[in-house]
Amino acid sequence: MTSRQTGKRINAMRGQRRRPVGSARRKKSEPLSAKDLRRLAQLVACGGVFVLLVAAKLLLPAKMAVFNQRLSSAMERNVDVQAVFSAVGRAFSGENVMEEVYQAVFQPQTEGASPTGALRTEDMKTQTVKLRDNGALDTLRSYREEPETPEPAAPSETPEASNLAYVLYSQENLPSGVRMDQVLLGFDYSPPLAGGVLSSDFGYREHPVEGEERFHYGVDLAADAGTEVDCFADGTVTAVGESSSYGRYCVVSHPDGYATLYAHCSRVTASSGAAVKRGQKIAEVGETGMATGPHLHFELQRDGAYLNPIYYVSAL
Amino acid sequence: MSPPCSVQVTGGFALLAAWFFLANGWRNLFTVLSAAAVHEAGHWLLLRLLGARVLSLRLSALGAVLETDSGRLSYGGELAAVLAGPAANLLAALALTAPGRDEFLAAAGANVVLCIFNLLPVRPLDGGRALFLLSSWLAGPAAGEAVSRWAGTLTAAALALGIGLVIQKTGGSLWLLPALFASLRWGVSPWFSAL
Repeated sequence: MTSRQTGKRINAMRGQRRRPVGSARRKKSEPLSAKDLRRLAQLVACGGVFVLLVAAKLLLPAKMAVFNQRLSSAMERNVDVQAVFSAVGRAFSGENVMEEVYQAVFQPQTEGASPTGALRTEDMKTQTVKLRDNGALDTLRSYREEPETPEPAAPSETPEASNLAYVLYSQENLPSGVRMDQVLLGFDYSPPLAGGVLSSDFGYREHPVEGEERFHYGVDLAADAGTEVDCFADGTVTAVGESSSYGRYCVVSHPDGYATLYAHCSRVTASSGAAVKRGQKIAEVGETGMATGPHLHFELQRDGAYLNPIYYVSAL
Repeated sequence: MSPPCSVQVTGGFALLAAWFFLANGWRNLFTVLSAAAVHEAGHWLLLRLLGARVLSLRLSALGAVLETDSGRLSYGGELAAVLAGPAANLLAALALTAPGRDEFLAAAGANVVLCIFNLLPVRPLDGGRALFLLSSWLAGPAAGEAVSRWAGTLTAAALALGIGLVIQKTGGSLWLLPALFASLRWGVSPWFSAL
């Protein structure tokens, strides 16, 4: 009881002490106390920063835009605190993992990139078999005019105009900016995921979270959280971000106005602006954003129009 | 039981907590805050045991501060009270990593990090205060002041450098900035405030 009262009294005294500072002193024009001087210096510094930023924004809009972009990318990139704490905890419990701590702190984006490299081609071959066995794909394939041709390992295939999607969707109104035909890509590509299972197709569907029927602008490939997400084709990472629906995502732009989007990642390992190669690890599967389980939401766009990615993820 | 003391939360603390939450998620925020709570509880418990009154708990962007009437404590008593916080963290980490437990590694890690961070010999961190108390106890207040000033400034410079390095290497982690500014201030201020 006493301690509580003491605390309150101190608070009350502080409040009183603060109030008279401004008004009473100024009239008498006494020399400013150290405290007032400090406040004045703070005010001048903050005001100066504000004026400076406004002036820079008005006079050098382009430079400020660059600065803005840099700042927001700096705010997005962070040490994986969870990983650091876990590594320290493990070190404390006796395991010798100082290297892991170092990596968690200093290289949060490159962790574990290399060791799987050697195995990757092998993984992809098994992946091909798995995708072929997928029931959802068989439904799609049954609409094709000719039985599927053995697809080459090098993914630049001959143009095969498919009317499949058109048949499936001709009764419904397609949203604007959606193309259902299969376009010939002018570059090499490879599936973004090894070991994924198609869990939701491109097109209209009942939204798994919100319930209503909506157009799904990509394909969902279900895979274990942490599975490596590989870049679809050579290109440049144009955006790395986080949104309430996409979760952690990144966008890679490719030649000829193509772009791919990888969403719901547990983390994105590529950084914005980086040049990436086909098959390079750029993210890890997760269930961030609006997702009901770990999966990769993969979109393919050309000049802002959405293409059906199914032809390209099943091509290999 | 009456509440142990008055609690003040500054806007800076709320802002930093919100920023940390946005950057790292609520789970990490909870981990850090509970480790901090364990730390302060350690201080508080020992102060109560020694009969000192805890006047208020102040949470700011630079950390939590317990205000006490510790003037009545002996060097030994105050030293024990200062070291109780990190000791509480250490005990919590030991309990969390008790054999067969894997699920609390992150919480244990947070406790260890907080313990080590607070033991840095920079005032007003516990390590700095402990160094001051110990050296004053052994060699007199003037020598203690000199020792802890130099130790504080050098450690603060190293700390600022380390945090700067982390920020530069990750290209982000800006929520560490308050810690960077704080360490710079802790390193510099003792040379001016006493004059």
